[in-house]
Amino acid sequence: MLLFRLMSALLGYVVIMVTGEAPERFVNMAASRGIYLWDITRVSEGAVLMKVRLGTVKSLRHIARRTKCRFHFERRVGLPFLYKRLLRRKALALGVLFFLATLYLLSSFVWFIEVKGNERLTVPEVLGAAAEAGLNRGMPKWRVETGRVETAIEEKLPLVAWTGVYIKGTKVIIEVAERVVPDAEDNRPSHIIATKAGLVKEVLILNGHPAVKEGDTVSPGQVLISGEIPPFEEPLKPVEEQKLGEEPKPQKTSRFVHARGIIRARVWYDGYGEANIVETGLRSTGRSETRVSIKFKGKEIILSGNQNVPYECYDTETLVKTIPQWRNLEVPVELVTLKYYEMAEYREEHGIEGARSLAVERALAEATGLIPKEARVTNRLLEEIQTGHPENIVRVKVTIETIEDIGEESLFKP
Amino acid sequence: MGWRDFQRKVKRQFSEAMELPGDVVLDLPKIIMVGNIQLFIENHRGIIEYTPEGVRVSVGEGEVVVSGENLMLRNILPDELCVEGKIRSLSFF
Repeated sequence: MLLFRLMSALLGYVVIMVTGEAPERFVNMAASRGIYLWDITRVSEGAVLMKVRLGTVKSLRHIARRTKCRFHFERRVGLPFLYKRLLRRKALALGVLFFLATLYLLSSFVWFIEVKGNERLTVPEVLGAAAEAGLNRGMPKWRVETGRVETAIEEKLPLVAWTGVYIKGTKVIIEVAERVVPDAEDNRPSHIIATKAGLVKEVLILNGHPAVKEGDTVSPGQVLISGEIPPFEEPLKPVEEQKLGEEPKPQKTSRFVHARGIIRARVWYDGYGEANIVETGLRSTGRSETRVSIKFKGKEIILSGNQNVPYECYDTETLVKTIPQWRNLEVPVELVTLKYYEMAEYREEHGIEGARSLAVERALAEATGLIPKEARVTNRLLEEIQTGHPENIVRVKVTIETIEDIGEESLFKP
Repeated sequence: MGWRDFQRKVKRQFSEAMELPGDVVLDLPKIIMVGNIQLFIENHRGIIEYTPEGVRVSVGEGEVVVSGENLMLRNILPDELCVEGKIRSLSFF
């Protein structure tokens, strides 16, 4: 039915008013001749309104004559009539045409240029290079030569390894892929200084003048490799070769370089740990209770949980939520969540051995916390500190020896 | 009992025996009603009278009278028609 209505609207139909002695006969005859009529309604005595397809209207004339009825068009609906009306309204047709033409015209210009994939290059740089190749905002699309723009950008910006220029609607997308260029070498004069105290084990100099040698003890901040290279001292030539009257060679000054090299040194780290042989204290039993309450102007309303603290010995954790202050308005309401953790006393006997291993563990943890990742541990020394008289405590000192690079760059002004 | 009645009787018995639908063999109207708002008549012979209060439709022999309010002929085809509106009664004459 919907399809039929749609077709009718497309092909066009008319609403006709049939008047006469017996409109029923008109309807009967039309129906028997295969003319499809629908929505037949009687308006008054001897006048019936009905709808009929545009294509079959012509044959109705004959039927009307035969049944002594008259009919006239009441309403015309559908695309053919719309088209006729449009032809009559020239300005409207012109407007539609103008609209389409404008749409086409405006969509044939470049409105936006988007740059994608640039990391070190800035967008204006890329756009500038594109503009030189004749890609500007507002230019007609057919004048954009994507191939030429691509090559121009690649030539203009050496950092660009590849470019792609596409036109997508009114937008031009410039996609660039940047070349990975190694960072420029830092050539400012600098020393390599020690970050830690240690005993120099290995000296490897790539650039600079050695300030320490293997076996030296260094302290933090001491220059290990100097960036200042003193002039090479030529061995004195035999006196007789020196010609008289020849000017003495100009005094050579020292060169300044960016020192590079690796200084490995033995470094020691100390750690101290202690443990009680018999340990007593408080610790959580794992049980907890939560109390949620609302605080309003000093009054506390408990929402859930016990009013009294359920444990004899406990630890608490409080979480207060307030409504954020807005302008000068402060709502004096707080949501307080109190969490009680039950604590219990405990007493644990480790024995001397147990206490020692605990103390060693703690001392090692303290010492290893200081060691950088790259360091290589070579030795570990444990030492129990004896006080002379018996105690409830075991004290352990740990010394860890590592070999690591202790050099650090430090710029200086010659 | 005339010859006609005899003929009809034979036809009916035949259709009953063969289980053939009556509207095909006996040339009877097939009427479908959807509540009291829609009425389809298949196998009709034309409209005799149409007013918003009643529609008289000629069928094989006799006529069907539909009465109600605001009746409207939704569509009309050579052998099918549809009446819409507030149908109150349907009778055969």
